[in-house]
Amino acid sequence: MERELRDTARRLLEDKTVGVVVGYSWNRKKTRTTPVFVTKPEDAERLIFNPLCVNNLSVYLTRKYPDVRALGRIGIVAKGCDIRNIVVLMAEGQIQREDIYIIGMTCSGVVYRQELWEGELKPEIMPTKCHNCDVRNPHLADTVIGERVSFTPPETPQGVVFDRIREIEGMSPSERWEFWMGHFSRCIKCYACRQVCSLCYCERCITDKNMPQWIETSAHPRGNLAWNLIRAMHLFGRCTFCGECERACPVNIPLNILNQKLAMVAKEAFDYSSGYDPEVHPPLRVFDPEDREDFIK
Amino acid sequence: MPRVGVFICQCGNNIASTVDTKKVAEEVAGLPGVVFTCDYKFMCSSPGQEMLKNAIKEHRLDSVVISACSPHMHEKTFRKASESAGLNPYRCEIANIREQCSWVHHDRTKKTGTIKSIDLTRMTIERVKRSRSLTKIKIPITKRALVIGGGIAGIQSALDMADGGVEVIVVEREPSIGGNMARLSETFPTMDCSQCILTPKMVEAELHENIRLYTYSEVERIDGYIGNFTVEIRKKARYVDEELCTGCGECIEKCPFKSGSEFELALRNRKVIYTPFPQAVPNIPVIDARNCPKIQKNKCGACAIVCGPKAIDFSQKDRIVTEKVGAIVVATGYELMPNERFGEYGYGRIKDVINGLQFERLASSSGPTGGEIRRPSDGKVPKSVVFIQCVGSRDEKRGVPYCSKICCMYTAKHTMLYKHKVHDGQAYVFYMDIRSGGKRYEEFVRRAIEHEGSMYLRGRVSRVYERNGKVIVQGADTLSGSQVEIEADMVVLATAIVARSGADTLAKKLGIGYDRYNFYNEYHPKLRPVETTTAGIYLAGTCIGPMDIPDSVSQGSAAASKVLSLFAGDELAREPQTARVNTMTCNACWDCLTACPYSAIEREEVKDRRGETIRWLARVNEGVCQGCGVCVAVCRSKSIDLNGYTDEEIYAAINAF
Repeated sequence: MERELRDTARRLLEDKTVGVVVGYSWNRKKTRTTPVFVTKPEDAERLIFNPLCVNNLSVYLTRKYPDVRALGRIGIVAKGCDIRNIVVLMAEGQIQREDIYIIGMTCSGVVYRQELWEGELKPEIMPTKCHNCDVRNPHLADTVIGERVSFTPPETPQGVVFDRIREIEGMSPSERWEFWMGHFSRCIKCYACRQVCSLCYCERCITDKNMPQWIETSAHPRGNLAWNLIRAMHLFGRCTFCGECERACPVNIPLNILNQKLAMVAKEAFDYSSGYDPEVHPPLRVFDPEDREDFIK
Repeated sequence: MPRVGVFICQCGNNIASTVDTKKVAEEVAGLPGVVFTCDYKFMCSSPGQEMLKNAIKEHRLDSVVISACSPHMHEKTFRKASESAGLNPYRCEIANIREQCSWVHHDRTKKTGTIKSIDLTRMTIERVKRSRSLTKIKIPITKRALVIGGGIAGIQSALDMADGGVEVIVVEREPSIGGNMARLSETFPTMDCSQCILTPKMVEAELHENIRLYTYSEVERIDGYIGNFTVEIRKKARYVDEELCTGCGECIEKCPFKSGSEFELALRNRKVIYTPFPQAVPNIPVIDARNCPKIQKNKCGACAIVCGPKAIDFSQKDRIVTEKVGAIVVATGYELMPNERFGEYGYGRIKDVINGLQFERLASSSGPTGGEIRRPSDGKVPKSVVFIQCVGSRDEKRGVPYCSKICCMYTAKHTMLYKHKVHDGQAYVFYMDIRSGGKRYEEFVRRAIEHEGSMYLRGRVSRVYERNGKVIVQGADTLSGSQVEIEADMVVLATAIVARSGADTLAKKLGIGYDRYNFYNEYHPKLRPVETTTAGIYLAGTCIGPMDIPDSVSQGSAAASKVLSLFAGDELAREPQTARVNTMTCNACWDCLTACPYSAIEREEVKDRRGETIRWLARVNEGVCQGCGVCVAVCRSKSIDLNGYTDEEIYAAINAF
């Protein structure tokens, strides 16, 4: 699989199909993977792919990284879940299909955190998204590398995130408020969640707007609540549940619960799942007279 | 530092009775930036406006707040006054302390009202401090008008506009213009022949150099905005070449197939290739494709063989024509409510029960009976005819709650026409009330009753049924308190006027409002009766509601005068409260573009000197933007703002509360 990946990357760079290949490589100690930007054919040997390749590299396709874009057409090593983000970026006009070359990787799951890796991929160390993955075989790619994976996601979604959603749904409103305020109170407004997210691509985030200043920028409970709610709402119907925000959060706010709950609402209210069809727009930006209205009270 | 002037209006006692305006003025005087305050009995009066102007000049005010009635009332007045004193009109804002305060608080001690007025005024002061000077948007206009519907209202409107030098396009769904008026025999109260007064106008419209008729056509799509509409018109396949046809009528003569005539309301058959009526404009036949064996089964083709100029073209297809216009007059007219809904009157079941329009055809000299009153079942001259009014009208349960307005008059006319043609006949009228408001209308009804011997019975009909070739009408005469049974030969139902089928679909295409009966909504029922809330689209005739010919004609002319005054200038000035994109922060995610209900947002490509695209941006078309603010709400990076209602202003107002 890695051999095929390296050969493909070298060929793409040699015949100038792409200017850069964004992929994964080992760190110096070969204990963790790290993003790598390969521009020379001979460097293609640095590319790797294994369950430690958890990062969602699609963030490098956004306008947040103009220097990556400046290298020319981008070849990107992407798992199915990463491709879902690419699809949303395409639907929102952020990238044109022809400007990128998707090297789709079949995938049997990744580790939730790289430090949990002990040489073997066990279900306990996989994130919730992998347990319910329906894109282990990339759904949109220029070339697919790796053997076809046969995996059918369970009918009722499994995993710790869903368990906790069910748990929170059983809480009273005041308990929920306590729960979330407790978590949000830890927020230090480092905006790592925003920086790592490929769908938070705004040139100027609403939190950086100061005329007027909609969100208090200090790490104060009120500002923290406003930031986290607006971040979640801005991702409604767009978030693909890649889980990078929660991985990046230094204070362990369970953002996955929030994101996944919103995805469930989008599915229920608008029958919409993000990241599958670049022609379909997220539900909050289109008006459809057929939209369900029973949740508007 | 801003220099704000605040003017509190007492509105006589309207505001002053529950608000201590002096106190409001004193309270807000201390706010930062406020350099002048006063209160006055009527700010909108001439002396009030003078005060405003003088204060602006004297105190060098850079913005003003008027705490008074709703901005709907006098915003324009005060903005104009501010402008004449040298202030940008959009730096004048209204705090509504009448409708939203004094009128809803009844506290005569003035406590609540005063506190709330101070709050409202303070919020507006904070807002106006951050307001910007705006200039009106100028848009070029296409001086050409579209009239939808070629009935009398549409024809009148088109003629008036055309005489005013405006190019007019008339789109008519039927093969000929003329509308329902062409069906009428005589018209009340003067009893002049309907076709005799209508057809000259039809011909005038056809021959007018400024009018282009699209008959047998429908409006498919409308895009654009006031001054700049793009209209797609579907010209339905006529199967007759309009250029070649001379209107000789040979084809109609030779056509061996027949079908029910729409124009004659099924009282007579017409050929499959036909003109709806002899005076049709244009006098070009149409092939009824559904009943034509040549088109359906490729058999016959007689018309094509006899046609001298070879105008018949069986291969014709519907064609879409695109036209650019600056204003639209909608005059789609009415139809009658299907009487089948009223089983007790036997319509559709009993042949000799007809509706008012069908009676018009029977009485018309060009009608199926040549103007003799003969009943449809056996062609006998009916010796007694019962007219039933308010069939469906004023009947909330099964019909419509409104009055169809013209039935009282036309029923009186029908009884007269009948009496004039059948001297020994007897007309009976069942009515609820006689509504004959209008010049010479009441006299007309009195004439029918007193001189023409029509029997008016006040009451409802409970049942209509057939017995021995007679139509038996059972009803009540509430004035004498007795039951009546009339052996009639024919029954005429004055059925309710309803909006044209498809009126709602057209309204959606046009983006205009309509009520629950599909009648179109006026901008203001009294003061702007022929305008819609969509700028550049006007209304005329019975598409607004039931009305008679004089009203329809007046509305046609009124709409035309609106269009002519719109077209008087070369450019259109419109309010500048439109969305504005911050080009520095726009992400080109196109959320605004998909969300915009007016299609006012476009993609803009930014190129460098070598012509290479650097980035894309959303751009607002100021001519289309209605300032609704949906884009502002969906923009995640808050890169769109609304001129005149910027986030900054609203935020400041909320914070001041």
